[in-house]
Amino acid sequence: MTVGPASGAGSAPASGAAGLRRAMGFRTAVSTSTGLAFAALQYLAAAGLVAYVAGDSAWISIGVAGILALLAWGFFGELNGMFPTAAAIRRYMSHAMDDRIALSITFTYLTTIVLVVAADAFVVGAALTHVLHVPTGLTAVWTLVLLGLAVGSNLRGVKVAGWVQDIATTIVLVVTAVVSVVALARSGTPLHGPLQPFHHTSGTNFVESVALGIFLYSAFEWVTTNAEEVRDPRHIHRAMFLAVCILFVVCAVMTTAMGHLLDHGQLTSPFPQLPLGARAFGEAGVWLMTAVTAVTALNTFNGGFITASRFIYATAREGSLPPTLARLNDRAVPWVPVVALGVASFCVAVVVEVVGGSEWEVLVAMGAALEAMIYAVAAFCVLRLRGRLAEHHRPFRVPLVRVLAILGMVVFGLLGLVASVSVSNRFDPLPLVIILVLGAASALYTVRVVPRLRAAELERRAATRPRRRPARPGTARRAVPEQAMEREETSERS
Amino acid sequence: MATGQELIEAYTDWQVRCNGNQRLGKMLRGWDRTVHLVASDTGEGFTLSVAGSVLGDLQVGLAGQPDLVVTATSEDFADLFWGDLNPSEKYLSGDIVLAGSSEDVMRLDAMSMVAFLDQ
Repeated sequence: MTVGPASGAGSAPASGAAGLRRAMGFRTAVSTSTGLAFAALQYLAAAGLVAYVAGDSAWISIGVAGILALLAWGFFGELNGMFPTAAAIRRYMSHAMDDRIALSITFTYLTTIVLVVAADAFVVGAALTHVLHVPTGLTAVWTLVLLGLAVGSNLRGVKVAGWVQDIATTIVLVVTAVVSVVALARSGTPLHGPLQPFHHTSGTNFVESVALGIFLYSAFEWVTTNAEEVRDPRHIHRAMFLAVCILFVVCAVMTTAMGHLLDHGQLTSPFPQLPLGARAFGEAGVWLMTAVTAVTALNTFNGGFITASRFIYATAREGSLPPTLARLNDRAVPWVPVVALGVASFCVAVVVEVVGGSEWEVLVAMGAALEAMIYAVAAFCVLRLRGRLAEHHRPFRVPLVRVLAILGMVVFGLLGLVASVSVSNRFDPLPLVIILVLGAASALYTVRVVPRLRAAELERRAATRPRRRPARPGTARRAVPEQAMEREETSERS
Repeated sequence: MATGQELIEAYTDWQVRCNGNQRLGKMLRGWDRTVHLVASDTGEGFTLSVAGSVLGDLQVGLAGQPDLVVTATSEDFADLFWGDLNPSEKYLSGDIVLAGSSEDVMRLDAMSMVAFLDQ
């Protein structure tokens, strides 16, 4: 390998991951993108979507949501190409907007991971309780066990190997699609108005169903955090596209089957996939879908915990979160964020169960709204960076950027708003209120606490450790804190 | 711009510090890796390897197949090895560019953090 010429900040890695001993291949990139999106909560979101559309036309809403997800794919593709790094979201947002706003949005977005992990643990727990015919109170115990296992394995530095993830994701998607098709085939009745989404329903309902449909694709973009480990940087971009297509096919078939075969009680239960399995293969189908639901948690917990805890760690190391969050255990795992995520997820899951067991619909609405929000932010960043970083290398460029970025901001903004005030086909502002509270708390923290944390960090460095690097003859080197403060000021000015 | 000699001097100090840290010894257990360092301003390449929880000498040039590739300016490398620079901060700002798995990146960052801050 030869050393290439200078590569400025912000460009792609000089050597790339191509020559690495262990690099992520295309197949694993696809399974990561698809697996992160296909959580256990997906089954509930798909069943919830049926309530908004007429007959068996839910697939149309999922298709429209898929087209919009492809719009988001374009935005993330361009941004990921510009910043092929796990810290991309911090990089492009801080270039496109005020760093405090970027941090506030990022912190709010991070809560989606807690919500999804919590909801997944609850869904798997509820499915196990149902299938084992044990008291519903045991759902919390299952949830605790599942989250405990996830936290424990994370603390031990266990990461699901790429090939295991490939197999797990393939099993989940294939089994879900096959069960749905078999259940439909065995129903013996034709589909009702599969091409009439507006029959006896309003246009508003259709918009709400599309907003919820966005959630079915959510987190497909999390694979961008693997940009530093893929064999070919283009893998991420292509993998996301393929993931959206796969998700459309599986979710469309599943939702159509659920809408066609399940009654209201089954659709509003926390485990609609189990009766679907029963319609396909009887009791064996119930167990099959229970096993598949548990496997979805493998991807969610593995991806969710690692992505969120490492991000929190890096942000704490940067000085934007308390330094305690950067503490490592003997396996170099940031144990405080991992435990905190586990505890937070468990608390959310218990609240959902205690409040009534159907509050997961609020989580779905919040997830959909936050996802739409981040897509709108991505559209904004793409547009803003075309002006601010016009010369930056872009392996992929969104065509007609002005039109598509503005369209993305407007459409995703509206869909986010619609999703945040709509729970189970009725007006309910609770998701919006929770999001606003979380956003306000993040903003307050960023404006009030972060500057103090950063100042304390600089003081700590100055007090505990003078600059160690020897001065070159004839030069007077400044102390580390001075340089850091200067960087801070420059950053503030910029 | 730091010279190759300055980098080796800085690395040697870091190496002694890392190898003398018991906690880091535990953290690096089972983590045998080859890391390529590429100085973006001078074009120089270096190789460091970890085997048996011990950080080896810095080799000039890029040797073997790497597990991790770190690209930064020679000044940043020198500051990093002297412990005068927060690599996470530089990474988030894009001044340090990495290629490799997130676990390997975490271990490398842990080396600088534990060696100097003992967290």
